[in-house]
Amino acid sequence: MITEDIKKKIRNIVGAENALDSDLDRFGYSYDASFVPLLPAKKPDLVVRPATTEEVSKIMAVAYEHAIPVTPRGAATGRTGGSIPVQGGISLSLERMMKIIELDVNNMMVWAEAGVRTIDLYNACAAKGLFYPPDPASWKFSTIGGNVAENAGGMRAVKYGVTSNYVMGLEVVLSDGTVLQTGGKAIKNVTGYNLTSLFTGSEGTLGIITKVLFRVIPMPKKRGTLQLMFRTLDDGCTAVHRMLQSGLVPAAAEVMDRFCLEAVAKHRKTQHDPAIGACIVIEIDGDDDEALALQTKRMEAVAKECGVYQFRIAQSQQESDELWAIRRGISSAIASILPNRLGEDISVPRDAFPEVVRRIAAIAEKHKLTIAVYGHAGDGNIHPSILCDLSKPGEEERVHRAVEDLFDVTLSVGGTLSGEHGIGITKRPYIAKALGESGVKTLNAIKMALDPKGILNPGKIW
Amino acid sequence: MSNRSDDKLLQEAKKIVSQCDRCGTCLPACPLFEAKNVEASSARGKNVIARALIEGGLEPTPEMLAKVNFCLLCRACVDTCPSKIATDEAMINIRQYLVNKTGAANTKYKAMGSILKSRGMVKLTAKTLALLRTLGLNSVFPHGMVPEEYTRAHFLAAFSGPAALGQKAPPSDVAVTAASKVAYFEGCGMRMMFPEAAAETLEILKTSTKPQVKDNVCCGLPHLAHGLRGEFLELARKNIQIYEDADAVVCDCASCGGTLKHLASYFADDPLWQDRAAAFSRKVMDLTEYLAKVGYTPRQKVETTFTYHDPCHLGRGQGIKKQPRDLLRAAGRFVEMKEADVCCGGAGSFHLDYPDIASTILDRKRANIEKTGAAIVVTGCPGCLIQLAKAAKASGGKFKAMHISQVI
Repeated sequence: MITEDIKKKIRNIVGAENALDSDLDRFGYSYDASFVPLLPAKKPDLVVRPATTEEVSKIMAVAYEHAIPVTPRGAATGRTGGSIPVQGGISLSLERMMKIIELDVNNMMVWAEAGVRTIDLYNACAAKGLFYPPDPASWKFSTIGGNVAENAGGMRAVKYGVTSNYVMGLEVVLSDGTVLQTGGKAIKNVTGYNLTSLFTGSEGTLGIITKVLFRVIPMPKKRGTLQLMFRTLDDGCTAVHRMLQSGLVPAAAEVMDRFCLEAVAKHRKTQHDPAIGACIVIEIDGDDDEALALQTKRMEAVAKECGVYQFRIAQSQQESDELWAIRRGISSAIASILPNRLGEDISVPRDAFPEVVRRIAAIAEKHKLTIAVYGHAGDGNIHPSILCDLSKPGEEERVHRAVEDLFDVTLSVGGTLSGEHGIGITKRPYIAKALGESGVKTLNAIKMALDPKGILNPGKIW
Repeated sequence: MSNRSDDKLLQEAKKIVSQCDRCGTCLPACPLFEAKNVEASSARGKNVIARALIEGGLEPTPEMLAKVNFCLLCRACVDTCPSKIATDEAMINIRQYLVNKTGAANTKYKAMGSILKSRGMVKLTAKTLALLRTLGLNSVFPHGMVPEEYTRAHFLAAFSGPAALGQKAPPSDVAVTAASKVAYFEGCGMRMMFPEAAAETLEILKTSTKPQVKDNVCCGLPHLAHGLRGEFLELARKNIQIYEDADAVVCDCASCGGTLKHLASYFADDPLWQDRAAAFSRKVMDLTEYLAKVGYTPRQKVETTFTYHDPCHLGRGQGIKKQPRDLLRAAGRFVEMKEADVCCGGAGSFHLDYPDIASTILDRKRANIEKTGAAIVVTGCPGCLIQLAKAAKASGGKFKAMHISQVI
């Protein structure tokens, strides 16, 4: 509970209209885009919407003094419950901090506040011929504070890496309200521990990220899209691996299994060719049409070696948009099949992809569940989606056991629980298995040092 | 209303909102969330409130009614949603449920609803507004309740002077069958606020047919949208009867047209009215839709630039985007504005309930109109026209706002 006195202090910092405590407003900040059940609602006691770092700092000082839990939040588009205030307290919503502070074209770097939408950052850079590559599926509505706190990935990771590969520096408000600057524009920087990396992906448990310095790269001049159909998922994965080994790096290589393709066909009211067991959509980019044509030619040769069933080159922007629309529409297409969908986010060494997909099929059979598989063939990040009806008796228990099996398989091949969604609440029970006792102990030691009162996003990760 | 029908409202809403996986795609699409970025203002926020209400996690309260009333019903979220979740329909159901449940039925909506329910009152109001306008008293009323009307006469005087004389568009060469009985549906907004534009609609119809003028009643959308479903159904039955002998029902109000086209779905479980409602809905068409069918050519072509604002209930509501633009291209120069299909903030009585938010949304619309350099912004809905007339005034004369009937 937050007393009226404390609320008054906070209202004095952000203004009454930015400290909300009505029942429905608090309810609005009790969920995110994960499958954590909506009810019972995990309402914060107070929703606070600061506009400046100074305000965040003052709020944290109050929270620290009174040991009030604080859960930072951007657009609440996370998939693992990271921004859900499980212990009440303050939901610190950074959506009003939406300024792009500096676009330094000479150094190819950009400072942005936490509440800037990823798409707005992308567009601001693109207007100067610069490219901010990380593209989580939510990039049109998620904010970069959340992207950094979760170290979001995306389809372009295979060639361009994930969010952390672009973070050069941070402004972070620590649990007691101290403002910390990490990193900077110097490209080489080994002064002290790499705190920038420590806070990136810390899921709001170590500090409140208020500003981010990103490096950006020149915008690729041309892009193209290829669609490769294979008889089996193994063939498709082998083709992608051979491309990478021969120096042919796609900007994105997305795989969909037979089940996904059937679901998409049903959703779009088309016929699925039963000979096709997997589809890979590839984005290529380069300096000019010639460069794209050369890449396409070499990729086609590799695909043929791997027994490609159909090789299609998008002939127009419209065709290319359509191919990507199929990929982006997958989650809706498969979600419409059964009432509940639990999307996982395992990440495995690239060459283990086909093996893991085979073992996922076995898990589905064992637990009598439907599991659709799609994901990023280029980087080993797989999104198995368990389709189920949780209102059926016993279903929830079977899903739970299937998820356990799924994680066991993942860890056994040297993979990990999450490639890009984070741990949050949903994968918390499995973290000791993934990191071991010493891993969790080390996390704990860092947490204790930076957040001695345990007020920052409590109840997350482990 | 009985518990059974309350349950049904919740079940209907449940079918819609249970499809939402809270991904957030709709967040930037909602004009209200752009203006007031608090979660409960967004489409996701309202759908999740509805879901929690249905699943017993939240109690029905007047506060909740206020939250679900804070929706433009503009369907921008539906358009962008990967699962095409009909937030507007869910909100209408939940509003009705909350009105039934909390008894908080919005005295002002009831008052407004009863004016609109009575044709006599609508006519009387129309007269009063006309009088106020004549007396120049309209500016003393707040929030554009009595909008200034820029008439076709003004338009022709200003834009089709000598320079335009040689450019008169050729007369329409479409043969009109005398057999088709075309009737006009005069909505309350057109009658009360823009009688001159309504008269122009009739003039346009007369070029291709002998339009029947009926003493129709309100389309019922204001009632449906604010938890007065009984009144809505009563009005709908009257209109269905009134137009039974017409082959086509032409509407120059996007909201009326959109509502009338959807009547059938509200009578789905009423065997007495189901077929009659479906037959009626099929006959309804927007003015521009009708004009495209009969191949209408505007009465003049002028040397001026138009831009067009898509009413939510016409663009997204009825999928009519091309016809009005084609007509404007035939009537003058046409330039597309940015975000043409984003709600203007009018949304029925929304702009009266939330003047500040509505004016924030309108400011953005005004800037987009100004950027086109167009002399006239045209639309096909009296609700939008009220807002656009305010924008025109705020622009200091940079552009005028007109109904499409007045310029084609």
